Amino acid sequence: MDHVVLLQKILVVSFIVALFWKIIRYMCNLLHVEKEPVRILVTGAAGQIGYAIVPMIARGVMLGPDQPVILHLLDIEPVAEALNGVKMELTDAAFPLLKGVIATTDPIEACMGVNIAVMVGGFPRKEGMERKDVMSKNVSIYKAQASALEKHAADDCKVLVIANPANTNALILKEFAPSIPEKNITCLTRLDHNRALGQISERLDVQVSDVKNVIIWGNHSSTQYPDVSHATVHTSRGEKPVRELVSDDKWLNDEFITTVQQRGAAIIKARKQSSALSAASAACDHIRDWVLGTPKGTWVSMGVYSDGSYGIQPGLVYSFPVTCEKGRWSIVQGLMIDEFSRAKMDATEKELVEEKSMAYSCLD
Amino acid sequence: MIARGVMLGPDQPVILHMLDIPPAAEALNGVKMELVDAAFPLLKGVVATTDAVEACTGVNVAVMVGGFPRKEGMERKDVMSKNVSIYKSQASALEKHAAANCKVLVVANPANTNALILKEFAPSIPEKNITCLTRLDHNRALGQISERLSIQVSDIKNVIIWGNHSSSQYPDVNHATVKTPAGEKPVRELVKDDTWLNAEFIKTVQQRGAAIIKARKLSSALSAASSACDHIRDWVLGTPEGTWVSMGVYSDGSYNVPAGLIYSFPVTCQNGEWKIVQGLSIDEFSRKKLDLTADELSEEKALAYSCLS
Repeated sequence: MDHVVLLQKILVVSFIVALFWKIIRYMCNLLHVEKEPVRILVTGAAGQIGYAIVPMIARGVMLGPDQPVILHLLDIEPVAEALNGVKMELTDAAFPLLKGVIATTDPIEACMGVNIAVMVGGFPRKEGMERKDVMSKNVSIYKAQASALEKHAADDCKVLVIANPANTNALILKEFAPSIPEKNITCLTRLDHNRALGQISERLDVQVSDVKNVIIWGNHSSTQYPDVSHATVHTSRGEKPVRELVSDDKWLNDEFITTVQQRGAAIIKARKQSSALSAASAACDHIRDWVLGTPKGTWVSMGVYSDGSYGIQPGLVYSFPVTCEKGRWSIVQGLMIDEFSRAKMDATEKELVEEKSMAYSCLD
Repeated sequence: MIARGVMLGPDQPVILHMLDIPPAAEALNGVKMELVDAAFPLLKGVVATTDAVEACTGVNVAVMVGGFPRKEGMERKDVMSKNVSIYKSQASALEKHAAANCKVLVVANPANTNALILKEFAPSIPEKNITCLTRLDHNRALGQISERLSIQVSDIKNVIIWGNHSSSQYPDVNHATVKTPAGEKPVRELVKDDTWLNAEFIKTVQQRGAAIIKARKLSSALSAASSACDHIRDWVLGTPEGTWVSMGVYSDGSYNVPAGLIYSFPVTCQNGEWKIVQGLSIDEFSRKKLDLTADELSEEKALAYSCLS
């Protein structure tokens, strides 16, 4: 009989606990207050990438489906009417998460109170142009933007530079906005990272979501080093190294690298325009993982201010493998670097050092 | 947007079938390359082709954007003849190769008439599965009210777009409401400006497409794409309780609109089916507007058939 009584008691207690839990949950829901909107700046918003990214941001792709946003859109005077057209379309789309749109040609108004800045604005690369061709036009733009951001953005504003030459533009931005913490200024190499995942998934005929931990080292240019030495594929028998499954080191060390490095040019050749869709999507991924954290066991590639890790000169914006937690990135340490990789990593570092001096010479 | 789960929800994997004409084949492949480059977790495959049969094979949802685009200065009727022959041939490919119960959304203008042609030449596709996009106009109307009242667009609901996705559409706020701390209030009451609601507001929504072209030098893309996702999502996943949306659907004679046209009505959706909201009172002013846009649609229907003869 004791057992029965005990069982009855347990049942009653469980029932009461469950009921209580439901009541508390219900009360919490009643008190549910919508989150404060986050202000997101997009420069170059009247252009192709801007047009692709703003609906993604307004749909919650960047910060999650529960985070309201206010968009600050900046572009130059000659495209003010097109910029207003973008604002009109954002109104027309009736996005529930979009709590406001400021469309302006005034950098101060644009930067006011922003929590996240996505710097797309710059001189775009056209078919036939090398990235260095656009350098001089862009460094003066980024020097000016640095000062507006520094003075008017919110504290702890997170900055993502996309416009090429991305790493060097980010460096210029950092140099001329000394009060913005250096860890808050990054550049986009997630596009290259995603491109590398895509190439592996096509080669192995697997879902791209089963491939992870590729690394893009260095410059978002044709000297970048897409490294699969630590990349794995999720299979029914557990995580397997990409090198093992591909079984073609020649392809991995050669054609695969060239394909990823030159993918931007391949897109321009096919579309007659720079990548917009994939760049915008990668930018959302970059910010989302930075703010909301990377999944356990997974890292991503971000162009960040080098601290000397892996023997890379400090004071460059260099793409590293990073994990993110609580709104902070940290470089994945302790990965083995073989001779082949070392040479590649140094080559792209060399290019960045050259770009840095070229940029400074443009500014004199 | 589709690859991110905006159309069918964040848990629904998708395979994209993309179709375009041979002159754009390289650009189309560029789109496929970018989709691969974006490493979308939900995107389980991409078929990029210029072959209508390959494109239609096994599709469950068809978004018909392809057609001759409207350029600055062109009237919608100008593009009619080019488009009706396109839609006649697409009808037959869809009918033969799409999955059973394929849901079709026609976006290319003249949307209603293209959808009608599609329906007429794909008789084995259930008529309830062929719709056209007026959600863009519906969302534009919500946007205009939200700007006028300086409130969040998500607090406004139940506007109606009646009729043709053209400058004769009738954006009707008689049953629209705004969520306030004091409960749902009629839009007319809060705006307190019937002159604006009956004239300028209507005109702004009707001609918004042209205003976008004037500003961007290109037709609406972002907002049209977003509205297309809203249209399909609400159709497939259902409309929220107490809310209706506007869809261009095959008329059954409701509200004395001639049957046999693709006409935009207020609808609710449940279990993958749409249903016209019945019993809404229609005042004299609205009646005239409803009839005007129906007349235009009947004219377009006749014009379309004459193009095909």
